[in-house]
Amino acid sequence: MEAYFEWLQGLSLPLWIAESDSIWGFPSVLFLHSLGMGLSAGSAFVIGLRLLGAGSPLLVSSLRVMPRIFWAGFILNFLTGSLLFAAHATQTGFIPIYYAKLLLIAAGTLLFVPMRRFIDSAGSDGTVPGRVKVLAALSIAIWVGVITTGRLIAYMG
Amino acid sequence: MNLNLVHLHLLLNHVPTVGLIVAFGLLLLAFAKRSDDLKRASLAVYFAIALMSLPTYMTGYSAERAVKNKPGVSQDTVVRHQRAALLGLIFVEATGVVAWFGLWRNRRPGGATWHVPAVVVLSVVTIGLVAGAANIGGEISHPEILAGGQAPSGTVAPEWLESARIARYQFSHPWAWPTLEAIHFIGLSLLFGIVLLGNLRILGLLRTAAFFDIHRLLPWGVWGFVLNSVTGMLFFIGQAFQYVDNPSFHWKVVFMLLAGANVLYLTLFDDIWALGSGADAPSFAKFVAGSQIFLWVGVLYFGRMLPYIGGAF
Repeated sequence: MEAYFEWLQGLSLPLWIAESDSIWGFPSVLFLHSLGMGLSAGSAFVIGLRLLGAGSPLLVSSLRVMPRIFWAGFILNFLTGSLLFAAHATQTGFIPIYYAKLLLIAAGTLLFVPMRRFIDSAGSDGTVPGRVKVLAALSIAIWVGVITTGRLIAYMG
Repeated sequence: MNLNLVHLHLLLNHVPTVGLIVAFGLLLLAFAKRSDDLKRASLAVYFAIALMSLPTYMTGYSAERAVKNKPGVSQDTVVRHQRAALLGLIFVEATGVVAWFGLWRNRRPGGATWHVPAVVVLSVVTIGLVAGAANIGGEISHPEILAGGQAPSGTVAPEWLESARIARYQFSHPWAWPTLEAIHFIGLSLLFGIVLLGNLRILGLLRTAAFFDIHRLLPWGVWGFVLNSVTGMLFFIGQAFQYVDNPSFHWKVVFMLLAGANVLYLTLFDDIWALGSGADAPSFAKFVAGSQIFLWVGVLYFGRMLPYIGGAF
C-alpha cells in the first residue's frame, strides 16, 4: 500500500500541486473542492429538507434539477478530492478518518439513487412516504458527517 | 492600510448608534401612519445595520493596535470598550435576524406577528448597550470628557466576553477550532444550497416552482448565515491579527456585505414575488440572481484563500 501511495504522490501533477507555490496549485484545487462541497452537500440539504416537509407547498417535482447539481458537485469533488489525496497520499492514506469519509460518501451517493427515483416519479407531488423521509433524514446526517470528517483530516496525521 | 482601517472604525462606529435610532424612529412613524411600507423600510434598515456592525466590530482591533502603548490611553478602558462592544454586537445581530424574519413573515398571509414587537423590545435594549459601548469608546481618546475626577463609565457586559478570554479558551481546548471549522463548512453548504435554489429559480432552472413557495425555504439559508457569522466571528476573535491586515479577508468581508444586502432582494421585491409556476423572471431580476451566486462564490473563494493570499495560519 505504501509503495502505491509513494508512486501516486510522485506523479507529476500531484507533485506539482503539493510543491508549487502557485496560487493555481494547491489553493485553487482546495477552493474548487469547497465549491463542489457547496454544490453537492448544498443540494443534498435542500432536497432532504423539502422531503422532510420544510417548505411543503413547494412541489417536489420542481426540484428535479437539484440532483443534477448534486452530481455536478460530486464529479468536481471526485476529481479535486483525488488530486488532493494524491498530493499527500503517504500522509492522508494512513489517517483512519479519511476512510470513514470515503465510506460516508459511498453511503450518501447510494442513498441518492432511491431519493432521485422518488423525485422523478409521477407521484412525487403527493404525500412523501415515511420510507423516503427516513432516507432524507439519513442523507442530511451523512453529508454533515462527510463535511465533518473531511474537515478533521486537516487536523490528523 | 492600517491607518485606513482605524479611520474606518471611527467612521463605522456611528452606524450602530445613529442607525438604530433612525430605524427605531422609522418604526414609530410606521405605527403612527399605519404604513406597511415604512415598517418594511425600518426592518430593512435594522438588517443593514446588523451587516455593517460586523466590520464596525472587526476594525476595532486595528484601532486597538493604534492606541496600544500610547501615552494617556488607559488599556483598561480599551478592554472594557471591547467587551461592551461585543455584547452590543450580539444584540445588534439578534435584532437584525428577528427583523429579517419579520420581513419574511410579512410576505405570508397573516403577516408578521410577534416579530415587530420583538424588534421594538430588542432595539430598546440594543440602543442602550451600543450607546454604553460608544460611551466607553469615546473615553479612550478623549479622557478630557471625564472632568473633575469623574469615574470612567462601567459596562454591564460580563467578563467572559473579553476577547482575550475567548481566544484563550479556544486555544486551551484543542477540539474548539476544528469543531468551529466543521460547523462553518456545514453552515456554508446549507446557505449555498438555499442561495442556489432561490437564484436558479429566478434564472429559470426550476421554472415549474412558484417563487412564493421557494420563499418558504429561505429561513434555512438565513440559519446557515447565522451559523457562519457566529463561528466566523469566533475565528476572528481567536486570531484577530491573522485577519485584520489580510487582503483576502478584506475582500471576503466586502463580498459578504454585498451578498448579504443582496439577500433582501429575495424577500423585499415584488417582481420576483409575483413569479408563478412556469413564469419567466424579468432580466433585472436575473441579473441580481446571477450577481448573488457570483458574490457567494466570491465569499467562498476569499475565505479559502485566507492562508494563501493573506498568509493566515
